[in-house]
Amino acid sequence: MFDANLLSVVSFLPLGAALLLLALDQAAKSAGSELAAPIWKVGGLAASLVTFVVSLRLWTGYDPTIADYQFVEHTPWLAEWGVNYFVGVDGISVLLILLTTFLQPIVLIASWHDIKHSLKSYVFFMLALETGMIATFAALNLFQFYLFWELMLIPMYFIIGIWGGPRRVYAAIKFFLFTMVGSLLMLVAMLVVYRLHFEQTGTFTLDLVAPPGGALPGLLDTNILPAGDVWWRTQPWLFAAFALAFGIKVPVFPFHTWLPDAHVEAPTAGSVILAGVLLKMGTYGFVRFALPLFPDASVQFAPLVFGLGLAGILYGALVAMVQKDIKKLVAYSSIAHLGFVMLGTFALNDEGLKGAVLQMVSHGLSTGALFLLVGMLYERRHTREISAFGGIAKPMPVYAAMLGIVTMSSIGLPGLNGFVGEYLILLGTFHAAPWVAVAATLGVVLAAVYMLWMVRRVVFGPVEIAENRGLIDLDLREKLVIAAVVIPIIWIGVYPQPLLTRLSAPVGEILRVMEAKRAPSALPGAPPEALQASLAEPAR
Amino acid sequence: MIPAPLLNLAAALPLLIVAGGAFLVLALDLFLGIRASEADRYRKNAALSLASAGVLIVVIGSVASAFRAGGAGEFSPEHPMFQLDRLAAYGIAVICVGALLSTLLSPYYLKEIGVQHGEYYALTLLATSGMILLVGSVDLVSAFLGIELMSIPIYVLAGFDRRKLRSNESALKYFLAGSFASALLLYGMALLYGATGQTSYAGIGAAFDGTDPIGVIGLALVLVGFTFKISAVPFHQWTPDVYEGAPASVTAFMSITVKAAAFVALVRLAVATFGQLAGPLTDVLWALSAATMIVGNLMAVIQDNVKRMLAYSSVAHAGYVLLGLVAGTSAGYEAVLFYVLAYLFMNLGAFAVIIALTHRGHDADRFEEYAGLAKRRPVLAALMTLFMVGLAGIPGTAGFVAKFRVFMAAVQSDASDRMVLLVVIAALTSFVSVFYYLRLPRLMYMSEPGEAAGRQRLSLGEQGVLAVCAAAVIVLGLLPNNGPEDLLSFVRAFDWTREAIAALN
Repeated sequence: MFDANLLSVVSFLPLGAALLLLALDQAAKSAGSELAAPIWKVGGLAASLVTFVVSLRLWTGYDPTIADYQFVEHTPWLAEWGVNYFVGVDGISVLLILLTTFLQPIVLIASWHDIKHSLKSYVFFMLALETGMIATFAALNLFQFYLFWELMLIPMYFIIGIWGGPRRVYAAIKFFLFTMVGSLLMLVAMLVVYRLHFEQTGTFTLDLVAPPGGALPGLLDTNILPAGDVWWRTQPWLFAAFALAFGIKVPVFPFHTWLPDAHVEAPTAGSVILAGVLLKMGTYGFVRFALPLFPDASVQFAPLVFGLGLAGILYGALVAMVQKDIKKLVAYSSIAHLGFVMLGTFALNDEGLKGAVLQMVSHGLSTGALFLLVGMLYERRHTREISAFGGIAKPMPVYAAMLGIVTMSSIGLPGLNGFVGEYLILLGTFHAAPWVAVAATLGVVLAAVYMLWMVRRVVFGPVEIAENRGLIDLDLREKLVIAAVVIPIIWIGVYPQPLLTRLSAPVGEILRVMEAKRAPSALPGAPPEALQASLAEPAR
Repeated sequence: MIPAPLLNLAAALPLLIVAGGAFLVLALDLFLGIRASEADRYRKNAALSLASAGVLIVVIGSVASAFRAGGAGEFSPEHPMFQLDRLAAYGIAVICVGALLSTLLSPYYLKEIGVQHGEYYALTLLATSGMILLVGSVDLVSAFLGIELMSIPIYVLAGFDRRKLRSNESALKYFLAGSFASALLLYGMALLYGATGQTSYAGIGAAFDGTDPIGVIGLALVLVGFTFKISAVPFHQWTPDVYEGAPASVTAFMSITVKAAAFVALVRLAVATFGQLAGPLTDVLWALSAATMIVGNLMAVIQDNVKRMLAYSSVAHAGYVLLGLVAGTSAGYEAVLFYVLAYLFMNLGAFAVIIALTHRGHDADRFEEYAGLAKRRPVLAALMTLFMVGLAGIPGTAGFVAKFRVFMAAVQSDASDRMVLLVVIAALTSFVSVFYYLRLPRLMYMSEPGEAAGRQRLSLGEQGVLAVCAAAVIVLGLLPNNGPEDLLSFVRAFDWTREAIAALN
């Protein structure tokens, strides 16, 4: 009974709580008083904590031996169009939903004193955003996926634009517009797939897979030609439209320019959620939709994605190296890390995909923690310039130790979470394209260079700037926040097995679907090189 | 044997009620006499607006029951000119809801801008009766009558704030351009009559084989006349000036109802007469739609006045609606009908916010006035954001479902390369639109409050209209067809549009 609606409960609990707070606030207003800001803070935190606790049931209740989607709910919505409320999770979505519900209370605690004005709207937007994120990861109907994917932009737009840094308005608009342009083309591609499905089966549906117990096939059963005369019916174009939407969100190398702005200008909580969860929407989209819908095109485009992924890894690392601002450095390191995820995804093998998903989670934790730590420093000194610090290990020993651990996790030190994913990705990539893996290894080295160099300049050495002498070490709230993130960082590093177990079946299923769809359609098409040359255009 | 009645009054009931209501309101205006004080005049105006609201509610009720009954047939079975089928009933309902909401917005606004004349409500009702005639017309003659009856009161309304130069200019421009378009329309009708010897849609559709150049030119000119009313490119030039100059309540009224009426009439015309000409006309509509989306959206980006921005936005939306006509399928026409319904609430909502901020004769139509509004007027800012997000077509709002339907209809139609290309153009121009629709939310939430503008108090009518529009934008966006299984029960908008189009076949 409880499990039957678990996903809906987890998805809509935060939004429900936000609306309840709003209603209480209005009621209090009409009674002449006002709901005090602390009530909003506590209410928001309580809602996100309850959501997290409830979502733990997804972890314990998920049966990793079954490849099917679990906790499925399927209710007609606009049935004549095949638009249904259809949610369900496999291991991949379970991990990402848990990452979301886990980070949410942490960022709310972390921003306890950070948000100086319009606190009510802030709590409201954060909770609305959480609903959007969870619902996106749970959606199995393309209409529903698109709905939440876009809806999420609005709270994030306001979070960056209202509570961000000096260039916040510019960053917010850039973030919104970049995501929007890809999404709209994806919408058109979705409608084409929908039409093709109708042509082949005579039914309208936007369900990704067949709903449980239903005889109707899902969109994944649509056979889309790998090449053909009518361009818009072929996989490469449709894939390109999906890939543009997801690639911008990831962001894949030439589309990354919104990221440094958005991450740097966003308030700490916004940066953590952006890096921790929102970027994963893109990579998740590739894994969940683009690969199984367009298997041939995925194989065709793999070399291009490898190239862009590598470019992202090296470019991100090199640019991170020369940053003067710690937050910017972390932002660019995200581009490099997500490059690894793209490599693992398009290695299209078991290790690569598992590594990619694991790396999504790891990156969410370690980059999230880095942004939290940068935020704590910023709250004390109101600057993030690396040169403004130095030797802060003396006044802030706990902080220094935590920064050390998180940095090690970010650069993939064995024994911490970053290593497992990166290792699996390199292994998978090596199977698919050895030289790409070799080149990517260079990125690992560079990551160590820029991260450690930053830590050395910030934490070690003599305290040269007088203001740094008086810095106060982490208080209890901050210790709690950072400890909460460091525990899973160590846990995943030491014992990743529970996560990997949950990933085996779904990853195997995705590869199986791709293989099954590729086999019959081994039609003689245009030579891949010529195709790619003609396809590079729309992706830009 | 009892001879069949010559006239079927049931079919003309909505028309008669509204036209009669117009004269009633006019008489009431006289009867209540001239009031000296502002406050008295406001009271009188409020009474008049309530009276016309009552008339409109009665009409909505009557067409709703006609819709449920499957229509009320032709007004004159021997010479069919006007009929109340489900399409007409749907169109009339949309128009009357638009008229009702804008009427409720008017009294307080007219008091603020200091033009409290009672004719306002009578003129609104008269224009509405013209629209009703237009959407039910199955004959060129009655359609022309409808268009003129609709337009002339609106020319007057556009210049209603007669002490303002802008308002006068607006009226004159609309009048001149509108007369020109009417002349073209009439000329086209004459040519069509010359080519076929018929004036009824059905007769023209049957007699016209698409080879006679006179008929083709005639149909093209008729199309131009309608294109002018929906303000599609290249016949959109009047739109920004008229929208900016006319009082905001008039702009709100005309921007939604004229467009709705013209599109419903266009759907009827297209189904009845395009048959043989479908190919070339689709080419023309394709080009119109593409040009309208591109020009409307790009021009809206560079506007520095909220009303002008909304004017170009209305041009852009006409392009999206045309997409449904280009598709030329039932699904496409249904999408058109849904779009005008969705657009009604989003656009009217946006204008309601402008009206609610209008203070002492000054329309709140400059962007600067919205800076920091979220701090001073959080509810109004949130509502404006909702309407902007809806107009931009972000999912979760009526605007998205409307766009989704036209996109889907276009992809589902013959789906040639060109159709897909048109949808891609639509998607990319929607992207452009996000830029200007986000401008107000950005100013309201992310800028420091500037000069204190706007009044603090909202009239009851304004509150009600804002609440209705906001609720409709959300309900049509999330649950557009999820009411109980009964055509008239709460929101089954997809069923309504499907039944309305089914009435044509």
